[in-house]
Amino acid sequence: MTSLQQHDIASGSLDRMWAIGARRPEGRGLILLVAVVLGALLFEPGVFTAYPATLGRIALIGLVALGLTAVILMGELDLSVASTLAVSGVVMAMIPNLALGIIAALIVGLIVGAINAFFVVVVGINSFIATLGMLFALRGLALVLSDEQPVRLADVDDGVAFGAPLIGPLTPRVLIFIVLLVGLHVFLTRMRAGREFYAVGGNRAAAKDAGIPVTRRIFTGFMISGGVAALAGAINTLERTAATPTAGSTVLLASIAAAIIGGISLNGGRGSIIGTVIGTLALGLLQIGLALAAVQQDIQQIFIGAVLFIAVVTDPASLRAVAANLRSSMGRGGGATAEPMPSSPQPVAHQ
Amino acid sequence: MTLRKIHLAVASSCLAALMILSGCSATNGGSGDSKHKVWALLPQGTDQPYGTTYLPPLEETAGKMGIDLTVTNSQYDSDTQASDCEVAVAARPELIILWPAVASTVRPCLVRAKEAGIPVTITNSDVLPEDKDLTSAYSGPNTYGQGAASATIMCGLAEGKPVKILVVNGLTGNVTAINRRQGFVDTIAKDCPNVTIAAEQPGDWSKGTSQTVTSEMLTSVGAKNVQGIFAADDTMVAGAIDALKAQGIDPKPLFITSIGNTKLGNPLVASGELDGTVFQSSVWDGSHAAELADQILSGKPYEKDVFMPSVIVDKNNVADADVAPEW
Amino acid sequence: MTNIATRQGGRPAGAKVSTHRGGQIASVIQWSAERGIFVVTGVLIVAAAVFVQGFASVVNITDVFHRAAPVGIIAVGMTFVVISGNYLDLSVVPQVATSAVILIAVSNSYGLLPAIVVATLVSLVYGLINGVAVGYFKANAVIVTLATTYIGLGVLRWVSGGNIFFGPRGGTIDTLGQLKFGPVPLSALVLVFMAVLLGFVLSRTGFGFALRAYGSNKDATRLAGVATSRVVLGAFLITSLSAMIAGFVLAAFSNTAVSTVSTGMDFGALAAIIIGGNSVFGGRGSILRTVLGVVFVSVLTNILVLTDIGYGWQQVAIGVLIVLAVSIDALARRVGK
Repeated sequence: MTSLQQHDIASGSLDRMWAIGARRPEGRGLILLVAVVLGALLFEPGVFTAYPATLGRIALIGLVALGLTAVILMGELDLSVASTLAVSGVVMAMIPNLALGIIAALIVGLIVGAINAFFVVVVGINSFIATLGMLFALRGLALVLSDEQPVRLADVDDGVAFGAPLIGPLTPRVLIFIVLLVGLHVFLTRMRAGREFYAVGGNRAAAKDAGIPVTRRIFTGFMISGGVAALAGAINTLERTAATPTAGSTVLLASIAAAIIGGISLNGGRGSIIGTVIGTLALGLLQIGLALAAVQQDIQQIFIGAVLFIAVVTDPASLRAVAANLRSSMGRGGGATAEPMPSSPQPVAHQ
Repeated sequence: MTLRKIHLAVASSCLAALMILSGCSATNGGSGDSKHKVWALLPQGTDQPYGTTYLPPLEETAGKMGIDLTVTNSQYDSDTQASDCEVAVAARPELIILWPAVASTVRPCLVRAKEAGIPVTITNSDVLPEDKDLTSAYSGPNTYGQGAASATIMCGLAEGKPVKILVVNGLTGNVTAINRRQGFVDTIAKDCPNVTIAAEQPGDWSKGTSQTVTSEMLTSVGAKNVQGIFAADDTMVAGAIDALKAQGIDPKPLFITSIGNTKLGNPLVASGELDGTVFQSSVWDGSHAAELADQILSGKPYEKDVFMPSVIVDKNNVADADVAPEW
Repeated sequence: MTNIATRQGGRPAGAKVSTHRGGQIASVIQWSAERGIFVVTGVLIVAAAVFVQGFASVVNITDVFHRAAPVGIIAVGMTFVVISGNYLDLSVVPQVATSAVILIAVSNSYGLLPAIVVATLVSLVYGLINGVAVGYFKANAVIVTLATTYIGLGVLRWVSGGNIFFGPRGGTIDTLGQLKFGPVPLSALVLVFMAVLLGFVLSRTGFGFALRAYGSNKDATRLAGVATSRVVLGAFLITSLSAMIAGFVLAAFSNTAVSTVSTGMDFGALAAIIIGGNSVFGGRGSILRTVLGVVFVSVLTNILVLTDIGYGWQQVAIGVLIVLAVSIDALARRVGK
């Protein structure tokens, strides 16, 4: 086989891998979204009439979720985004010059991403733990830098202006979210480097054999995640006119939940930006709808937890696993029945 | 291609829904209720002991005043509260009651409400002085003042002598914790500089944590070098007192003050183990928030700042009915 | 969530060529991974006793025990989940708080025994839900337990109204909570008892063996005919029961209970488990390591408070230690193939 043919086979399987991976998972998120939209139409149409607020909430959860998607698609996780958000916000607020502050914040995010990637590929630590450690360490750093108090922007009016609608009813935050959404979608679906993320997540060994620079892709992925988190931190700080060192804790969990509801697989290789957006839309609409309907906060939380639970156990791979379990326990006799493989090409069972 | 169709479907259905409802909402404007629609943006609720006892009087008083109340809980996350504020403004209530999660981050919310013509009253934690003109009125305790009141008790006990104390703070980064500590620290610096802080640690509003860190501070500073303790709330001071007792130290000769006058703290004052606390009535707080809102809505005269008195509770008045603990 | 290449200890970058020097470094790393935590904990304690004033006093030793007990009890139970390769159980947070609230609130009204019965039932429900979702539905444990955490906290606050509950002063619970044998509080003895019991289960029973095998290689264990779903279910049930006991211990110590009492204990327990040297990949580890990790973290936090180091730096220290511990483990896996 010539190298050209090998190359063609590699990109052909990439295409196929991507086509299979991206189609099915969004389905469940879409069903939920439709259900939420219908529910809102029936019970709380204020969600739509108040769409700037709804969009704002969606952009709040969604921004970080977008960055996370890049990392999760490769089979890794980035828990440090919450603290990255906080630390970059603090760094930005500490610098009197607004433009410099924003740049500094973004640089912080990129550096954090690079450090995470370093631990994952060079040292070889599991990304869950590496980013968990970073979550703690960066949170501590944010507290130390800010002296455990909120840090105000040098010019408060800049912040208030930033939060005001820019184009029509859309605030800069929502606009940035849309731009990022489109940008990442194009990157992951149309650009070679982005499409390789799926291969890295689907079967890392095979991806390496196919000639994909896995290490570089992982670095890119984590830097995207860190950079976006820093961007979110900068946006939040501007809109709030102050940086709080404890920011980001609620956003972390909501972002992961949004991505999961959108059908992303934590094993990697399956999912999409669109899926994450669908999940974010569903979650955001649900939250706003429940708030407008004046549902008690505890009940809201139970609701959202239940939605997440159902989303994760009704994953096609999970349902197949349970069906296989039932079948094997009913037809018990002589050796375990092998569980069918999940749709994405990975040998390890769903974790 | 299937994916693209899905995208189109989602986009068009959302758009359709939007158009239908924008049309509907025009007629849906005023519901014609006699009730006043009010939104309360709170940073805590049943997830914290204080919020738990703040909510019922708020809701009850609101009900009596004919207010239709919607309550949110941002769990002290300023970003969530800002989003809650956006939702509230979009819901077009007649008034917003705001309890800032972080005072330095609420100006944008106040600006939006003002632009929408919605009056905002503040409850429990006041906004920054430069933002006051964006609000209509304030009711609530003065958390800074509570710290100051507790310091006043401490100064009185110290009587000019050099006194070293331990300080147990509330949850790190929490505004009430920050204000109470600041009020305490500023007041002793001003009124009785003979009182000095030997060590301070966060007790996270938890009795168990407070007991552990107090014990460790006693070890670190040396128990014989400690003449007093200030804890930012009664739950923590109970833990601190337990720490003393576990080390075999009698709490009565020490100067111990805190804030709250809760069901834990009040009996400790009665028994003499706690020298003084400051009454924070969550019932007062919640009900006054609703009352103030009602005054503004009905056009009645109101005061711009309605402060909950920081009533000092010590052995002299501990048994009085009007300082009976509420939570 | 892990890619098979890294799971089996292989790595994406090129392998190191072994030289004499490399061999020496390799064996140092190997040794660190295996014995490191023992030595470091020992050194830390000795150094603290010498340099930190008051560390070695009876009172302070009791404080360290009080720090260690609740998180330690959770950690020894949660070790089973970690060893099964399922990372952690986030829902220990509502479980601990719920059990604490049940203990005090129910015993105030109905007595101690009904309280324990109710708490046990609730704990079993949690364990069943988590265990079935992760073991049978093969759903991701992080997400499942995240969902049950949301639900659990919501239910707890709704039912308890968010109130803080007090036990009667000097009552049974209060007395047990302050009970000490010399410098050793009852809670520490409970921790020791559970560590011994669970250590036995993990290392000497068929269940424990199956769990460790499953953590090392899920597919092989399943194909060998082991009822792996049941094994995972067992891991979550053990974690739930441990969380329940930890809740009892917390409630007894402060004689109060409120829904916020357990904040951060999920990651606190995980940090201890990982720093002790249990592998987050699963399969490798022991209860002894968890106990060491708990001791290490408790002693360290105690020292940081005694030396007046701020809360922010404490968090930085924990974060750095987690990464360090896992780095050593990862490097050891690479060099010691």
